[in-house]
Amino acid sequence: MKQTVQLRKIQEKMAPGVITRDGFLGGDTRALVDILTADDAEVLRLGLSHRDIADRMIELRDAGTAGLGEPIGVPPHFEVSVDSVRGKLPCPFGDPGMFQKINTTVRNVRLDRTMVYTDLHIHLIGSHAFYEGKASPFRLEPRDLAEILEIAPAD
Amino acid sequence: MFPVNAFFIGIGATAAIAAVLALIMVIADATIANYGEVTLSVNSGDRAFTVKGGQPLLATLKDQGIFIPSACGGRGSCGLCRVTVESGAGELSPTEAPWINEADRAKSIRLSCQVKVKRDMAIRVPEELFSIREYATEVASLRDLTYDIKEVTLKLKDPAEIALSAGKYVQFVVPAYELTPDPVYRAYSVASIPSRKDTVELEIRLVPNGICTTYVFMHLKVGDPVTINGPYGDFYLRDSDRDIIFVAGGSGMAPIKSILLDLAEKGSARKATYFFGARAVRDLFLVDEMKALEKKLPNFRFVPALSNPLPEDQWRGETGLITEVLDRNFAALDHHEAYLCGITGMIDASIKVLKAKGLPEDLIFYDKFA
Repeated sequence: MKQTVQLRKIQEKMAPGVITRDGFLGGDTRALVDILTADDAEVLRLGLSHRDIADRMIELRDAGTAGLGEPIGVPPHFEVSVDSVRGKLPCPFGDPGMFQKINTTVRNVRLDRTMVYTDLHIHLIGSHAFYEGKASPFRLEPRDLAEILEIAPAD
Repeated sequence: MFPVNAFFIGIGATAAIAAVLALIMVIADATIANYGEVTLSVNSGDRAFTVKGGQPLLATLKDQGIFIPSACGGRGSCGLCRVTVESGAGELSPTEAPWINEADRAKSIRLSCQVKVKRDMAIRVPEELFSIREYATEVASLRDLTYDIKEVTLKLKDPAEIALSAGKYVQFVVPAYELTPDPVYRAYSVASIPSRKDTVELEIRLVPNGICTTYVFMHLKVGDPVTINGPYGDFYLRDSDRDIIFVAGGSGMAPIKSILLDLAEKGSARKATYFFGARAVRDLFLVDEMKALEKKLPNFRFVPALSNPLPEDQWRGETGLITEVLDRNFAALDHHEAYLCGITGMIDASIKVLKAKGLPEDLIFYDKFA
């Protein structure tokens, strides 16, 4: 698929130092359209939609918020904590509003695996099907999300 | 046959054109981009500086000893370095746009890190920023308060003293290291007593992948130089006779501790209760210090509460979320004011409980990690 001018401009905003220190792509040199296409195919292979993934992230974040910063148990076997640090981030796709730096840490006790994501991640996945570039330190692999957050394909 | 001479003449001509273009660019950079000296007027000319044009406003002000709060070190990614630019700023840049809404535009608010001083400029900044300074310090001690919270004590070198009131925060400058090619700034509340002017004590909680906290936990050693600037913030104890409710969790302990130490030094008789939330005993810290303060402050009570104590903790104190403990401890709040410090979720939930108990929102003061 061809990269549009709009996607090219968005990709420029994802470079290190423009919106965040590390940017959103790491060393991934692919065009943004190729990154989006590859992750879209992966999510399709998992039998999921980006909305399914974002909704599950929201569900666990909201459950963890009740812990007021301390980890709390969420059935059936998750431990979730929601923390915040000072600062806000804008969406690189240009959506209005700012995203607070709220970190949700989900530990799947059964698998003994942990995943950390922010409110901006939830927005980027749910609204833009974007999981960050392959070498980005903040990339979330769709497969890891599906496994750790136990997101099952809809019947 | 290919004319060899013409080929070399072509190469020569291309090289010559490239050299001329490069020269034009160098000359343009030295002349067109040279903005010369410009006047920077602050607060209707109360302060005026002649500065070299071309630098971002944030850096230009810093060179003149005026420190604007910034958590990202000038990358336009924190939105904190807002100033009113009355004249001399160009158009809003794309990097500023997400941070500046319509109301901000109407008030000529700009991000000082993104506005370059290219011509005479008039700006307006809050008066309290004039007392902010940069300090060269040295790490005097490092202490693990819990497995993920470290106490960092800095001895001031130059200037040797800082004037601050309890509740303020400073910015810690993280030098370039493996996680950052450039220095970055992070804000931390001061935990020490304000009267100890040669020392600044911080309580820093480890954030996974955090640039500053990784530096502090993995690299910082006693004797290392550290640059800070400050003090900042409007979190302070109001002068009243109301009973005080303090609520904090994690590193939110820092400004509350500073306020309590200040109260103890002044021999305050105000009634105060401090609710500190943690998960288990291993997450509690400074309990002995707080208990010692109960002896110094006759009307002070420290109430640590654990949300999920372990059997081996043998905990006999308050249990539950801090909001539940607050709810249990008060019937109606008709002669109180509250001071909260911690993460957004804890503060929002606590405000809800306090308001439900009758405490007006204008008597709830907080330092939110947001």
